[in-house]
Amino acid sequence: MRLQIPLVITFLAGLFMAVQWFVPHELGVTVYNELLNWGRIVAAFALVLGIQSLLRTHVEKIRRQREDWPYSAVAIASFVLMVVVGIGWGHERGTGFDWIFRHVQVPLDATMFSLLAFFIASAAFRTFRARSTEATLLLVAAIVVMLGRVPETLIVVLGETRPGLWMHAVMPDVSEWIMDFPTNAAKRGIIFGVSLGSIATALRILLGIERSHLGGGGGGGP
Amino acid sequence: MKLLRAFAICVCMALPVFAFAADPGAPANVQVMDDADEPRGTVLIVTWEEPAEAERPADLQLVGYQILISESGEPFEVASNVYLDEGTEAQIGDLKPWPWPPYFVTLAAVYAPPGLGFHYLVDEDGVVTDTRAVVVHSDPVGPVRPQGHWFNVEYTPILLLALLLCAIIIFTIYSVRGRAEDVYIRPIAGLEAVNDAIGRATEMGQPIVYVSGLSGIGSISTIASMLILGHLTRRSAAYETEILVPCNDPLGMTTEREIVSQAYTEAGKPDAYRPENIFFVTESQFGYVAAVDGIMLREEPAACFYMGYFFAEALILAETGNETGAIQIAGTDADTQLPFFITACDYTLMGEELYAASAYLSRQPLLVAQLRGQDIAKTILAALIVAGAAAATYAAVSTGVLAEAAQRFVEWFAV
Repeated sequence: MRLQIPLVITFLAGLFMAVQWFVPHELGVTVYNELLNWGRIVAAFALVLGIQSLLRTHVEKIRRQREDWPYSAVAIASFVLMVVVGIGWGHERGTGFDWIFRHVQVPLDATMFSLLAFFIASAAFRTFRARSTEATLLLVAAIVVMLGRVPETLIVVLGETRPGLWMHAVMPDVSEWIMDFPTNAAKRGIIFGVSLGSIATALRILLGIERSHLGGGGGGGP
Repeated sequence: MKLLRAFAICVCMALPVFAFAADPGAPANVQVMDDADEPRGTVLIVTWEEPAEAERPADLQLVGYQILISESGEPFEVASNVYLDEGTEAQIGDLKPWPWPPYFVTLAAVYAPPGLGFHYLVDEDGVVTDTRAVVVHSDPVGPVRPQGHWFNVEYTPILLLALLLCAIIIFTIYSVRGRAEDVYIRPIAGLEAVNDAIGRATEMGQPIVYVSGLSGIGSISTIASMLILGHLTRRSAAYETEILVPCNDPLGMTTEREIVSQAYTEAGKPDAYRPENIFFVTESQFGYVAAVDGIMLREEPAACFYMGYFFAEALILAETGNETGAIQIAGTDADTQLPFFITACDYTLMGEELYAASAYLSRQPLLVAQLRGQDIAKTILAALIVAGAAAATYAAVSTGVLAEAAQRFVEWFAV
């Protein structure tokens, strides 16, 4: 029973979600929204488990004074501060919660995001070394696309010479062609495969063939 | 008893009729019908004729109409105000079709002394409150309710194709499962390397870090990732190699704990399972990246797995893992992030390989049989693409009945 009931619920919920996509009737929309609300309620309860997990991990780290434990102390102090400020004074614009969010959380997020620029540079350096035919093709295509996006570079480098002006005129079209045809074709190939894979995975779960997510095995052993 | 109840319901439904018996000067020939173009079934269309000149109150002029609606015996409420220049047809929205109760609708003609506009007569709720106005109601019309559509006809090709693909996959699962060992599966380097990654972690005594994407448990790629986690843990549990699973979705965390716990039990090592190794970090995208990067730099894992749907964090994670020298295996169906993983990881599962990984790792007959079904479905899709391209080309360069048929074939797929 511990396995059958979740399997039946999974099957019925999955079947409903698939069917309702084809049914525009208000009844289907209402039930769908209701199920989404149930999902939100379940997620809210799961958040309690998440917070418990977070606190437990960091408290344990501080208690055992593991490596870099002060970071855990900062994490817990930040968590408590946000909870106290948020519950005590609200989270509307102009409150302390909003101030901390905009002046601490947002800049920290932006800092992490900005690292991407450096990582892209280092990854591009490794990738664009023309060590094989494929890598050379990739390198050439990337240069063409980059120059096509900013064709003024060609005027700066080659000057207003005949080849410079010609490449300035042609490069955006070549770049567009690469993006529209070879790139798009490859992307759509991936999307077709992904869609079929999604359908197959959904069927496996709905039919109970794959049930390891229920903690009941069924996914086969090693 | 049933008869009495039916009588009571009839009386209740008839009440508004008596309350709003039509007076001279009321709109004539009021009709209420479903809006056939509205698929959800939330709109009714009301049409009427203007009241006859002779019946209108003396010294007053007609300034507009009020549509009032009642939900089966409830008091009538203003649904909409219609100005005189808006014609004699109006819509009532935000209604409910079957199985909600039906409605009764009445239309009122609003008269006012010359020079007094409709908008001066009503309050903010649209109710006529000015005592100089005269409101004359028509007979209630009803019971009536919007119909709505039970099937979106535009999606017929999608439904048929989805049913065909599902039928092929299910048929193949049940026809091939007995001889699944004969099914050839193309070697996938990334999955072949899973054993190497686990072996490396075991030899080094370092943990494995597993990241299951950032799209939450509602995404099918996260579910596929969780299935891979189960198979991976079964293998690593046999050697008691530690797996760290930082989660960004608390719901995903609880599911992954269940999967990992089951995998340890199946591997015969239930005591080795440590729930604290599957832990919630944060739902913030870059907060999560910062935490996982920190874990990778501190713990120096022997192997990193990134399976699921990723956004801008993909390269930050993979490059940090690369710096620690870990074997990195990624798998994603996010086509925008694939180049980053290919660049920074040792092996990358592209698109559908993420979904095939579960069958590949387990070699379970039902799952392997399903891969065969997927391939057959893919062949049909490829044939349809070729046929569609040929038909579109033919329709563009030719005329006649055959060209029209080709054009219709192409248009049938355009949703």
